[in-house]
Amino acid sequence: MKTRLTRRSVLRGLIGGTAVSVGLPVLDLFLNTNGTALASGAPLPTRFGTYFWGLGLTDTPTGGTRWVPTKVGAGYEVMPELEAIAGVKDKVSVFSGFRVIGDGRANLVHWSGHASILSGIAPATASRFDGPSFDTKVADAIGTGTRFKSIDVDASISRQPVSYSTRTGSTFASPDVTPLALYTRLFGPDFQDPNSDDWKPDPSIMLRQSVLSAVTDERKALMKGLGKDDQVKLDQYFSSVRDMENQLAVQLQKPEKCEACVIPAAPKEIARGASVELVNENTKTLAKLLAMGLACNQSRVFTFVHTSGASETYMAGNSKIYHQITHDEPTDAKLGYQPETSRLAGLVMQGLGAFLAELDAIKEGDGTLLDNSLVLAFSDTGYAKIHAIENIPMFLAGGAGGRHKAGQHIAGHGDSVTRVSLTAMQLAGASIGEFGAGSMKTSNPISEVMA
Amino acid sequence: MYYGPIMPPAPPAAVRGKTLSKKHTALGVLACVAIAHAAGSFAAPASQNADTVKVALRRITESQYRHTIADVLGPDVKIEARFEPERREDGLLALGSAELSLTSAGFEQYFALAGNIAAQALDDKRREKLVGCTPQDPAAPDDACAQAFIERQGERLFRRPLAASEVQVRLKSAALGAKQAGDFYAGLKLALTSLLVAPDFLFRIEMAEPDPANAGQYRLDAYTKASRLSFLIWDSAPDADLLAAARSGALHSQDELDRQIARLIASPKFEQGARAFFADMLQLDGFGNLVKDPAIYPKFNQSIAENAREQMLLRTVDLLVEKQGDYRDLFTSNEAFISRPLASVYGVPFASKAEWTTYRFPESSERSGILTDVGFLALNAHPGTSSPTRRGIKVLEIFMCQATPQPPANVDFSKVQDSKQGTVRGRLLDHMENEGCSGCHRRTDPIGLALEHFDGLGQLRTIENGMPIDVTAELKDVKFDGAQGLGDYLRNEPRVPACLVRNVYQYGVGQKTVGRDRSYLAAQTQAFAASGYRFPDLVASVAASPEFFRVAMPKQASNAATVASTAAPSPSPAE
Repeated sequence: MKTRLTRRSVLRGLIGGTAVSVGLPVLDLFLNTNGTALASGAPLPTRFGTYFWGLGLTDTPTGGTRWVPTKVGAGYEVMPELEAIAGVKDKVSVFSGFRVIGDGRANLVHWSGHASILSGIAPATASRFDGPSFDTKVADAIGTGTRFKSIDVDASISRQPVSYSTRTGSTFASPDVTPLALYTRLFGPDFQDPNSDDWKPDPSIMLRQSVLSAVTDERKALMKGLGKDDQVKLDQYFSSVRDMENQLAVQLQKPEKCEACVIPAAPKEIARGASVELVNENTKTLAKLLAMGLACNQSRVFTFVHTSGASETYMAGNSKIYHQITHDEPTDAKLGYQPETSRLAGLVMQGLGAFLAELDAIKEGDGTLLDNSLVLAFSDTGYAKIHAIENIPMFLAGGAGGRHKAGQHIAGHGDSVTRVSLTAMQLAGASIGEFGAGSMKTSNPISEVMA
Repeated sequence: MYYGPIMPPAPPAAVRGKTLSKKHTALGVLACVAIAHAAGSFAAPASQNADTVKVALRRITESQYRHTIADVLGPDVKIEARFEPERREDGLLALGSAELSLTSAGFEQYFALAGNIAAQALDDKRREKLVGCTPQDPAAPDDACAQAFIERQGERLFRRPLAASEVQVRLKSAALGAKQAGDFYAGLKLALTSLLVAPDFLFRIEMAEPDPANAGQYRLDAYTKASRLSFLIWDSAPDADLLAAARSGALHSQDELDRQIARLIASPKFEQGARAFFADMLQLDGFGNLVKDPAIYPKFNQSIAENAREQMLLRTVDLLVEKQGDYRDLFTSNEAFISRPLASVYGVPFASKAEWTTYRFPESSERSGILTDVGFLALNAHPGTSSPTRRGIKVLEIFMCQATPQPPANVDFSKVQDSKQGTVRGRLLDHMENEGCSGCHRRTDPIGLALEHFDGLGQLRTIENGMPIDVTAELKDVKFDGAQGLGDYLRNEPRVPACLVRNVYQYGVGQKTVGRDRSYLAAQTQAFAASGYRFPDLVASVAASPEFFRVAMPKQASNAATVASTAAPSPSPAE
């Protein structure tokens, strides 16, 4: 835009003389002509995400384990089931010995574990959480300046798309499940290249905004006379509309340049199948796209599912699924653990290894995207054979922009899993001081890992 | 979780009829007062006066969305989008969608889809028919024509007349769009898009109003009744005739109600309604993402999955709607529809030039009824094996309305033997002997073991790991042999038709049945039996009953709309 224009004349030109209200910050941004205010200078943002895999890691009935390091603190040893993350070990903290405390609520198998970690409350029923998942709180705190408040991805190739991100406890996010879908969402027709030199605001966006305002105008009339549960539902609907409005508003702003942003090529369709080999391949491809989406400033928050709670994944050609093996396989008397289960756990962890490697592969500032991110990786159970909700494996990966003192092993000694959740929220930059309910209520994050 | 038997030995002769319980009445009055206080300066929608209460908010399903768009805007409008996942509650998606809202990603999809549908519906070849008036200047706004369009399409999509404010805000959009693009129809596209993303379209907002015949009590308003009927019978929004009956209030009379039900069931659209119901009840949504290990089941692919799904629906709709047959024959009929891809899985010849043809399975095939359809068998199995437990759980859940509780968390599996040897029966016998497991596995496994002559893809086999497969089973006092024996057992089991009755009712009203519904359900089941177990009669009988329009007052709203976990009270012990 070389010609000198006033703000209002630009707007009139764009929409044919009809008045449309646009927030002033937007005008300030896209009419800035000196070209410096939006350029680098601001600190690189912190990204936050969750990474979930099903069926935990392997314990041994005699008290040993295939994943908990003996050494506590910095410089922990790489246990057999942690092999896959050895390459980024110094950027990962391991949390062992944390548990779900149900206060008398039953252990709902393959559900209570992650429901408690994410919502802070041991759930009453096995299809919903009793509160929102905390990633939505982090998204509200740090995710409103980008096109998407959060990106939800499911790599599991399951019967139903899997997501554990929820604002109401009953409606869960609808994740992108294939690389092509994720690519289209992030880099499809509505993507604006932040590094492009001939950016122009798209006038049709304002018309789309007017479509939404017709809907939001009726909000008060609609909320009136609704029962309690229905109010919660409608509230979420309007919160989703607001996210869409935010997307449109962001697209009217000239995007900030992102050095690390390189638009990827469109991916091919994936082979369908739930074997762990295919799921890991899908994980790697999705992680690459997601990482670039973060680097291109499309979102700052994500949730990622590798496999679901009672995971159906299996080794190709093997008739038994992993889930069944964790229960049926006897403990090998000589080894002291379930060998096939442990092998599968190692394979499943390769998904996490690949995921973190993709974040670490993108250079950003003096470090990598992983250094500017915080990822909480966790599972639904500890020792899957008995559906244990004690010693659920949890990891915090990434430097959180220097706030995370990574590379440590923290032994929880039976503390509530919510302490790790709260730590994650605070490291991610959400100002939340307390999390959880009942015996899992905590205002005590794990200070050892906080710089 | 366990529903318990549907037909109790001797239910108390509680007859609910049209009156509400005392508790409901009290709540109703409270709600009414609260709303009267809350009513401020906001203009209420046309169908809503100060006394109306919104009793439910049910997200429309993907198929309801598709059918409504086809009926209102034209069957050739293409709908290409990923819909929000639905969730099953107590066996039905219809119950789950009554609990669901819309996520950000979901709304994003609906928003893009709405724009796309509006562009198609108002393209050069369709606009004339759809708009119904001609703008004075096609390059400029025309409020009169736009208003007529918005009011007419809005009423079909919202399933009630629009309030003046709802029309006005869209007229503004239309004028803005028309001016900006210099095209009247570009403006209409914006108005139509905003109708398609409104909560009034994406959710069924059910309303109740004071019942003039019973002071202090509530009844569903006529538009809500019209929607309940139409979504149950057609899986789509009400048509003009039904909306007219709602507008005049005639729908409140039993005569007009009966006339409308008869008309809806006689329509060819009843078949799509039946398909939607059975796709939900039979849990056919699982086919979309069904995967099998290609090394173990090389014949499986996505087209097999799609054909297997369609085969189950063809069987069901042909028997129950086309032939108006006995529901119980669904479990025993050896006549099936077959396609070329399926013929290879069944191992039978396919000589027809048509896509589908009927085929009568011989006795030796061991096929009889819907449980031996490849679809049922493959869907309820693992990627690399069959699963007698899963099949048993699903037979109980889908056809007998019996839920199986969650497995206990801490189970001693140490006695379980290696499954690489012998048949699956041996492994499951261990479960049946284990105290913590036996309660459920004794119910589920015999049913699944009777189906063990069919592998994880539904192909016939009689040997597993070199051992012959024993398909005899014993359930409480009943013994049966193989799939045909199981089919005969279900055909004669009274809980099977009772479960269908319950599902039709729950599906239609979007609420779970509870203990006090027993006598109603028992009476409906009796009527179903008396009709010769004809499905159309069952649907008509449920739709015509006062219970179908019963008002369930919602829990009072509090000021805090959402519950933050940090502020949530301590959880109470599990009930």
